[in-house]
Amino acid sequence: MRTEGATVAFLDIEKVVFTYPGRAPVVDGVDWRMQAGEFHCLLGRSGCGKTTLLKLAAGLLRPQAGRIVLRGGELAAPGPQVGFMFQAPTLLDWLSVLDNVLLPVSLQRRPTPQDQQRALQLLDQLGLASHAPHHPRQLSGGQQSRVALARALVLEPPLLLLDEPFAALDAITRAELQDDLLRTCRERGTTVLFVTHDINEAVYLGDRIALMHGGRIVENWTITLPLPRTQAMRHGPAFNDYCARVRAAMDGAGT
Amino acid sequence: MNPTPMQARLMAAALFLVLLGLWELLVRQWGLSALVLPAPSAVAQALWSGLASGYFWPHIWATLQALFLGLAAGSIVGLLAGMALAESELLERVLKPYVVVSQVVPKLALAPLFVLWFGFGLLPTVLITALICFFPLMENTLAGLRQADAQRLQLFRMLGATRLQTLLRLKLPMGLPAILAGLRVAVVLALVGVVVAEFMGSSQGLGAVVIAAQGMMDTTLMFAALVLIAVIGLLLYQGCLLLERRLLRAHAFPASSLSATFPPRSRGNS
Repeated sequence: MRTEGATVAFLDIEKVVFTYPGRAPVVDGVDWRMQAGEFHCLLGRSGCGKTTLLKLAAGLLRPQAGRIVLRGGELAAPGPQVGFMFQAPTLLDWLSVLDNVLLPVSLQRRPTPQDQQRALQLLDQLGLASHAPHHPRQLSGGQQSRVALARALVLEPPLLLLDEPFAALDAITRAELQDDLLRTCRERGTTVLFVTHDINEAVYLGDRIALMHGGRIVENWTITLPLPRTQAMRHGPAFNDYCARVRAAMDGAGT
Repeated sequence: MNPTPMQARLMAAALFLVLLGLWELLVRQWGLSALVLPAPSAVAQALWSGLASGYFWPHIWATLQALFLGLAAGSIVGLLAGMALAESELLERVLKPYVVVSQVVPKLALAPLFVLWFGFGLLPTVLITALICFFPLMENTLAGLRQADAQRLQLFRMLGATRLQTLLRLKLPMGLPAILAGLRVAVVLALVGVVVAEFMGSSQGLGAVVIAAQGMMDTTLMFAALVLIAVIGLLLYQGCLLLERRLLRAHAFPASSLSATFPPRSRGNS
């Protein structure tokens, strides 16, 4: 399945540097490649530059040096080819759940019945079909995160970027959403870059993990746990071995 | 013992009747001249005969006309100005000092000037009212449009939304509660504006009736006109609340009411 070293990567981050004026570089020469359909986790402590790198990959920020190539073309501006999920669900309170999911469509054109169908199907996959006419404030935190995930996927973007989307959820809801995310993205072959500070989450979700520190990627691992992941794996020795190795590297980088 | 809303309303109405009764009793007991303080019964009678004879109607109509024209003009211009200032940093920096200065000038003090410039009649009244309505709308629109948070703005950028789409579909809905609160203030101020403008520059309208009643030393008529003004104010305020309740229905869902217990009343796309 994996084609390491293929000539053209799906997403190619080349020697990217980003600096806010008058400060040390937040992202300081990062190289990273992703092949289509892979699930990568970007792990690091707060302030290591991982969210900035994600925003660069999204096109929300422009790098001062280096370049980001998505499917052979340089990324100029954010657009519907990239799905993005923020730390908070950021739903629009005055729209129904269905209209929230359809927002990316309705900003481009008038949603067709097929669009509605696709949105409803996504909601159904995420267990929210009956909530389509409700408003976001009527939903629980986990349900709101699912709506945000459906919204990020409704245009079927080939690349999905997530910025600690489950950080505010309780452990059980988070585990459910992790499984939903894995399943939905595998079904569609979506390439995913997932930012987190949670080692456990990174090992569970990722095919590969990149550890960021001080604006650089200091270490990376390929995780060879079997697919699909199941919650039972969290208690297995292989899983905990990965966690321990990543933890040790993080502690090493911190000092 | 907490009274229900209905009981509270009944108590308020009862208090009103008691106060009216006291007023009536005092006037009769002390034999106060109607020139100083007319009895409520006399006011009611003047009100009724004025309405029945058709004396009040042209004045009510004139006041409402000036009120709505001024309110509409001032609110629309205020809304647009607020949007322009919120969208353009340059415009805001250049114009903000003028806005602040014009805020502290009492707009009603300009009424004589407007009469001087625009003569008597509808026009100066509408202009004063519009000027008064302009500021709360502009201020609240400016503040309301700034309420959109960084993440939602980034979401719209991420989705490739145009500037106009971001304004109309994110900033405006987010600012709607603030804008409607501004409208509610504007409506109350507008009524004051109309009446005071009519004091000075008009032969039509309830403000003009008050001045005419003063000239004729007909205090009862003056009270009747004041009652009409108060009723118009109350109706307008209630209208505003109704409008807010309708437009903000989607904003106002309490965060605690989870869907399982919520009645299915919000069907359909909003």
